[in-house]
Amino acid sequence: MAMMIPYGQRITPDDRTTTSRGLMRPRPGGRALRVAVATVLALWFALPLVPLLLWAVANRWSFPAPLPTAWGVDGLVTALEQGAAPAFGRSLLLGLAVAAIATPLGALAARALTRGIVPAPRLVSALLLAPLALPAFVAVMGLTVLLLRARVPATLAVLLLLVAAALPYTVYTMRVAYAAHDLAYEEEARTLGASRLAVLVRVHLPLVAPGLARAAFLAFLVGWSDYVVTVLVGGGSLVTLPLLVGSYAAGVGNEAIVAVLSLGAIVPPLVLLLALGRFGRRYPTARFTGPTPSRSPKGSP
Amino acid sequence: MSASLTLDSLVKVFDDPARPAVDGVSFAVAPGECLAILGPSGSGKSTVLRSIAGLDVPSAGRILVDGTDVAGLAPERRGMAMVFQRPLLFPHLSVLDNVAFAATVAGQPKREARADATQFLELVQLAGFGSRPVTALSGGQEQRVALARALAARPRVLLLDEPFSALDPQLRGDMHVLLAAIRAQLAPTVVMVTHDRDEAAVVADRVALLQRGRLLQHDTVERLYTRPDSLEVSRLMGGRNELPGTVIGGVHRSAAGGVPAPEGETWAEGSGVLVVRQEALQVAAAGASAPEGFVALAVVVADRRARGPRAELELAVITDDAPDARPDSLGSTRLLAEVPASRPLAVGDRATVLVPRSACTVVAG
Amino acid sequence: MLTTPLPGADARARQRASRERWVGLAMVAPALAVAGVVVVGGIGMSVVQSVGLLPLVGEARFTLDAYVANGDELLTGLALSLGIATASTLLSSVIGLAAAVIITQGRITGRLVAGLSAVTIPVPHLVGAAAVGLLVADSGLLPRWFGVEPGAWPDLVGGPWWVAVVLEYTWKESAFIALVVAGVLATRVARYDETAALLGASRARRLRHIVIPLATPAVIVSAIIVFVYTFGSYEVAWLLGRPYPEPLPVLAFRLFNSITLTSRPEAAAVAVITTVVSLLAVAVGMALLRRTPLWR
Repeated sequence: MAMMIPYGQRITPDDRTTTSRGLMRPRPGGRALRVAVATVLALWFALPLVPLLLWAVANRWSFPAPLPTAWGVDGLVTALEQGAAPAFGRSLLLGLAVAAIATPLGALAARALTRGIVPAPRLVSALLLAPLALPAFVAVMGLTVLLLRARVPATLAVLLLLVAAALPYTVYTMRVAYAAHDLAYEEEARTLGASRLAVLVRVHLPLVAPGLARAAFLAFLVGWSDYVVTVLVGGGSLVTLPLLVGSYAAGVGNEAIVAVLSLGAIVPPLVLLLALGRFGRRYPTARFTGPTPSRSPKGSP
Repeated sequence: MSASLTLDSLVKVFDDPARPAVDGVSFAVAPGECLAILGPSGSGKSTVLRSIAGLDVPSAGRILVDGTDVAGLAPERRGMAMVFQRPLLFPHLSVLDNVAFAATVAGQPKREARADATQFLELVQLAGFGSRPVTALSGGQEQRVALARALAARPRVLLLDEPFSALDPQLRGDMHVLLAAIRAQLAPTVVMVTHDRDEAAVVADRVALLQRGRLLQHDTVERLYTRPDSLEVSRLMGGRNELPGTVIGGVHRSAAGGVPAPEGETWAEGSGVLVVRQEALQVAAAGASAPEGFVALAVVVADRRARGPRAELELAVITDDAPDARPDSLGSTRLLAEVPASRPLAVGDRATVLVPRSACTVVAG
Repeated sequence: MLTTPLPGADARARQRASRERWVGLAMVAPALAVAGVVVVGGIGMSVVQSVGLLPLVGEARFTLDAYVANGDELLTGLALSLGIATASTLLSSVIGLAAAVIITQGRITGRLVAGLSAVTIPVPHLVGAAAVGLLVADSGLLPRWFGVEPGAWPDLVGGPWWVAVVLEYTWKESAFIALVVAGVLATRVARYDETAALLGASRARRLRHIVIPLATPAVIVSAIIVFVYTFGSYEVAWLLGRPYPEPLPVLAFRLFNSITLTSRPEAAAVAVITTVVSLLAVAVGMALLRRTPLWR
């Protein structure tokens, strides 16, 4: 559902704006209120991550103590002993595979939809966004019978279901990207003598690259974070990082391992997110000047 | 509802302190007057307007409305209203509620606010459009509603930021007529930013010409054309004739000959460039003598360019050094004149240019 | 003047249009096939199984037994799931909207809140659940910091009010709504805000008359997504909830993995009901969206 988030786009006012814009000038009463609300919100968003950070470096932390009583990396050692590394690798592969499939499929569909050459476009868009409205377990429970009878390997079945789950994100993201993408650039390139392939490689893809990166990131996230599909279809044969987190979190006394595994599950997407933030601002002028495109399919799940 | 507006050495620095976007701009606008801020893109004209509105905070300088500094006032308390190039009609409100917006947020009862708004819709000739959604309007209508909305706020100063530049020429002309009608009826103080010389000439009483953040000249439209303060002004206003030379004893002497200063004016002695509008030059038959107040120059037509109903003639001045010059070996002193396209002057024809002394001015080189 | 097109031009244009349609169809086909198989197949097969037409053993026979078998659990589960989803959606919308306003207004404060909420987004829900557990359980970080004995600490995890579950959903989804709405506010609302200020509207008035109305469609769309997700999500309720009563997804999960022969159709029945409610929620949300003046 993160597809509507403007990753790589500045949403906070920059220093130049705030110091020079009349509307942004601090006014005493409003400022106190704003700082208070912002502090509460910052705590709200940050607080749940604090126990993870502390437990990950706690060897022992008996109850009433507000901070760990013995620091250390026992949690990390145990997690590695319990197969955290291969699970991490499997999650990574799963996320990459989902991104590698769902991104081009979504981009193709989005391009056709934005160009208005698809028959029954409303129905097609609705179907492509439908996995969003369908709880994952419903799809799994319905399809397992079919997939089992067709002897589809569990890993492949997981992949199919996760690609479907990722499609709404990639389609939506690419529709936004293509709505802002001016076909005239490609036509201009054609008139300058570029072949279809050259236009695709040298003009079309570079121009929508930030959109593709956003779409791929979101698709990766679907594969990387999934729990339900892997557990139900894989039936325990495909042990990913979330599965390890789930099995340790359900037990007692595993706080340190859970914390280490959880951080391991948070860090890679965060790194990607930071990279995306830099990449997304590659064409700042081309994408954010002029009237905002109104053709984007905002909000039609 | 009209107030006077004074800018006192306004400075606005964005990123590079060495290159301020607005650099010490001062001017005054009388109540009911319409001032156009004219300049090429990047000249800082929009920043001046946004500073007046309070949307940008100046780095230095004062902005006075009716003699009172408005520095500490938030945009919403300055009593300005602004119309942007994009109409920015609130998409969640009807046409009428857009126009009634200022009254609504000022706490007026809805019925009164709407009744008031209706009058302003009539003023912009959109009576009966009130209940429509703003998406059902054409570009010109949208801008009319934006104007009505701004006027309904009873601004002390009405600010217009290139409000008509997105419209086609026909609609733009209609809007100029509408603005004139509004000025006749309500006499608001208006400051309008534009990059279009003709628009400034049609709409404004006076023009402030900006370049690279600096105010080059603040004057009436006519004087900007005929009495530019500098070569820069002359060029920005589209002046094409520049004759470098020297003023000696009140007469400007150049390769083209001597031109005395207009009646009742004096030119500073020393070197200077004589500028004269191409529209002011008259082209007569070869050998014609100069009437009172004109200077006659013998010329050869070196080039002729079509400009729709007009033609632009490039005229090579026949000087004493080259009295019988042929078109291919002409001297470098050229004048540009605009004549009706029907004048049958062709390249190579000889003619006489009559330079009206009253249209000439000398600026520093 | 020749105003009618040359003979044949019309036909050629039509031919080109139909070729374009084929190209378009070919471009959406792969995505459509995957989504179609999963959505139509998933729902269809769930329905088929739930009415007894695809038993693991024995002959197929149409029956609604699966819907009646766990009647009570189904009803309490439905009520519970609706309650959790409604509470999470309302709380995240309010917190998210407030955060969006802070993000787009403040300088340092805005960046802080934006950064922290962006960090929240890529956290998997299961990890979020584990983290919230470590924070608010009776041996968690908060009772430690406040010095409250486990006995005196309320039952947030596994308690009767499902507080930890709602907290986790609200935590992640409020960040989602905050960033979506902030994106809309920053790109589409900023200029209107200026215009309104010039027309004399104070900050509070602008918030009420401009910012909130213009943000409403984005809030509704993201609220629909949050509701449907929290309504049909399994792992958070499983980890932070109590064994009984079960929300619909947890109930379906238990039935699906149970060894009884009749439990598969029963799980499918729960899945069908969850889907129907989800689709109804989307329909209600879209109806709400259409009633906002911005919707065209």
